[in-house]
This record gives sequence, C-alpha cells and structure tokens, in this order.
Amino acid sequence: MFKVMRAVGWTGAGLLVGLGLALYIGWVAWPVQVTDITPELLDPVHRQEYTIMVADAYAVDGNLRAARRRLERVGGEAEEQWLIEVMVDAILAGRDEETVILPLVALARDLGVSYPAMTPYLPQLEENTGKGAAPDDVSE
Amino acid sequence: MFRSSRYREIRERLERDQPPARVAVSSYLLLGLVLGLIAGLIYTWLIAPRLFIEATPARLEERYQQEYIFLVSQSYARTDDWEAAERRLQALNDPALPERVALLFEDYLRRGAPAGQVHNLARLTERLGGESPALALFAPTPRRPQVTAVAAAAASVRQPTSTPSPQPTATPTATAPPTAVPTRTPLPTATPRLLYRLLSQERLCSAAGPQPLIAVEVVDADLQPLPGIEIIVTWQGGEDRFFTGFQPDQSAGYGDFTMDEGVSYAVRVAEGSPEISGLRLEPCSVAGGGYPGGWLLTFQNLVLAAPTPTPEGSGQ
Repeated sequence: MFKVMRAVGWTGAGLLVGLGLALYIGWVAWPVQVTDITPELLDPVHRQEYTIMVADAYAVDGNLRAARRRLERVGGEAEEQWLIEVMVDAILAGRDEETVILPLVALARDLGVSYPAMTPYLPQLEENTGKGAAPDDVSE
Repeated sequence: MFRSSRYREIRERLERDQPPARVAVSSYLLLGLVLGLIAGLIYTWLIAPRLFIEATPARLEERYQQEYIFLVSQSYARTDDWEAAERRLQALNDPALPERVALLFEDYLRRGAPAGQVHNLARLTERLGGESPALALFAPTPRRPQVTAVAAAAASVRQPTSTPSPQPTATPTATAPPTAVPTRTPLPTATPRLLYRLLSQERLCSAAGPQPLIAVEVVDADLQPLPGIEIIVTWQGGEDRFFTGFQPDQSAGYGDFTMDEGVSYAVRVAEGSPEISGLRLEPCSVAGGGYPGGWLLTFQNLVLAAPTPTPEGSGQ
C-alpha cells in the first residue's frame, strides 16, 4: 500500500513538473507560429493600420466595392463596427485629420454608417462627394 | 554471534533491495514528467495554442501580403508620407522587398490594372530602389508636368516680382477693396527642371544577330533629331558618356553604347532627364531573332516645345 502511494506521489509530482514545463514551452518558449493568416487575425495595431490603408485606397480610387470587401476581410463579420472602432480610436488619439481621420469618415459615410463622432468631419467631406466611376480593381 | 550473523543478513538484504527501490522512484518521476510534458504540449500546441503572438503582416497569406503592399502604395500616393509607408512595409519583414514590390508592379501591369494603381506601385517600387524595365514609363518623374524655361518666362511676364507693382489701394480713399493687389504666389521654379522626357522605350532586336546596344535617339519638341547631346550611362561601379550625332548614317540625334551581359545600366541625358534604370541585355523573342537584344530609348527635349522667349517679352 505504501509502495503504491509512493508511486502515485512520484508520478503525480512528475506530471505536475511536466505540465509546467510544457506550458512554458508551448506558450512562451516555442509558441505556435501561425502563418498564412487573414487580415482579420492581425494583431490590433496592424489591423488598425490595415483598415486605415483600406480607407486611403478608397480615397484614391473611389472603389467602394473593393473597399467593402477589404473591410470585411479585416473587420470580420462586424466590419462596420470595426470601422467605427478604428475611426473613434483615431479621433481620440489625435491622429492626422487629413491623412487618417477624413478617409475613415468618408469610407464610413459611403458605406452608410452613421455615428455621432463622424458629424464634425462631414461638412469637410461634402466638397469631395462627386467621385467618378470606380475603376476595376485587379487586386480583388 | 547470533546477533552478529542476523545483523549481517539484514544488512545484506537491505543492500540487495535498496537500489531497485531508488530506480523505481525515478521511474515514476520520469513517467509523470513525460506524461505531463506530452499532455501539456498537446494542450498548448493543439488545444489552446497562443496563436496570434506577433500576428504581423509578415504572417499574412501571400495574396493578402500582396494586397497589403498594394494598399501601402495607394496610401503613400495619397498621403506622400514615406515614413509611414516604410514602417508599414518593414512589418512584412522581407529582405527582398524592392524586388517583391517590383514584381507586384509588373504583375499589375500584366493584368491590365488601372493606370493609377500601376502608377502608384511604380512610384513605390522606384522609392524602394526596385528595378523593372517598365518602371521608367510609369514612375512619376517622366509623367510629372515639366516646368520649362518658357513657362517660367511666361509666368514672370504675368507676375513681375522685382519691379514695383501698381498698388490701386495706395490712395487714402480706402473705399476700393484691395482686389487688384498682385499676389505673392511663388513662381513655378525651374528646380529640379528636366529638359528632356522619355518619349519611348523599345527593345532592340534583330534577326541578323545580337544587338547588345543601348541606342539613344534625342529629338526636339518637333521630333527633329538633336545632335551633340551628351548621354550618361551608369552601372554599378562605372560610368560612361557619349554624344549623339556621330553616326549620321543612323540619325543626327542617334548615339549608342555597347552593353555587357549581366550588367544593369541606367541612362539619362546630361542636361536633365528622368533616369532610365534597370536596362539589361535580354534575349529577344524568337520572332525577334532570339538573340540578346538591348534597348532603344528616345528622349524628347521640352525646352523648345514653345516659341523661344525673347528678352523683350519678359517685361523686365
């Protein structure tokens, strides 16, 4: 009986040490290196940058279809909510109005998104409403 | 005597039994360790992995990385913020980034992408130092509106700067609004002024044999050949110059340079033109003879594109 207890004790101790070691190895030392991810799985900083670039590209080419598709890729199912989040973060972080905030607001507006934080920027966008036909986008 | 032999017997038995007991303990420990390790790794790598550590653009799927580069080019075209573009591109962690962007530019060109997108990618490629034979046609410098001496002269006629200009509001009436005061809008300056633009860039192929030449034809605004124009050819670790007009059998505006295989050349007009880079000796198509062929570049002078300004006309 004593021998059994002792065997269980030592095995349990080894198990605990092994588990601890495995947690360190699997989560810290050699975590799973994921490749071939989609933009939605980028870390938050790069995901926001990606979204800002989507808005910039839309400001350049006026291709709303392509912009929506890219936004779906980076924002997932709640892409409009994600766009609002990025826009509000940019406003609160005091990022450059011309190069960051206005393109995001313009994209949100043209996607039919309405949000109070957009209001101060909408008059500035009124002058740029007449966009030409969007060219085909081969990146799609 | 009895106690002594009994003691020896017990001692011998203990010595006989003890080593197996120690091995058993370490075996149990080892068994637990291995089981724990296996179970833990299954959990951390398969069941609950920390997947998104450093989920940077470098880990994006290839097609999304291409889209990422495209978006950077579009964003750079809009904001002209090279620092941001560079930071975003560095996130791709690609040591061969210029070549990669150049390939993407060529891919867009092949797929018939809108000119604006190709232009933006060309601009990004050029800024990164990437090379492509077609780059010179789409990079911004050849397309940039040229400010010629004529234009500057004409502007100086409209906006005198050195002579005192009439001030309609100089009278103390103060009723006339100062609408006619000449503005101090800066004149378009001629720096950096490119006197020549690239008119065309063609492959130089012949069914008769190899054409390892960089042939340059320089014409004026009326497309007439211009002799005596200095052309600069550079390559890694070298430079050469030649003048047009020494082969009148070809054309008065013609000059050429013999290329070596495997060397990338850049050509420009000494007086000022976009630099056409990435010119290599490349095999021509079978229809073109299949031999190695060079390039024929035609530069057009822009200064003579309008009547020569006269000193009188400047109003000075």
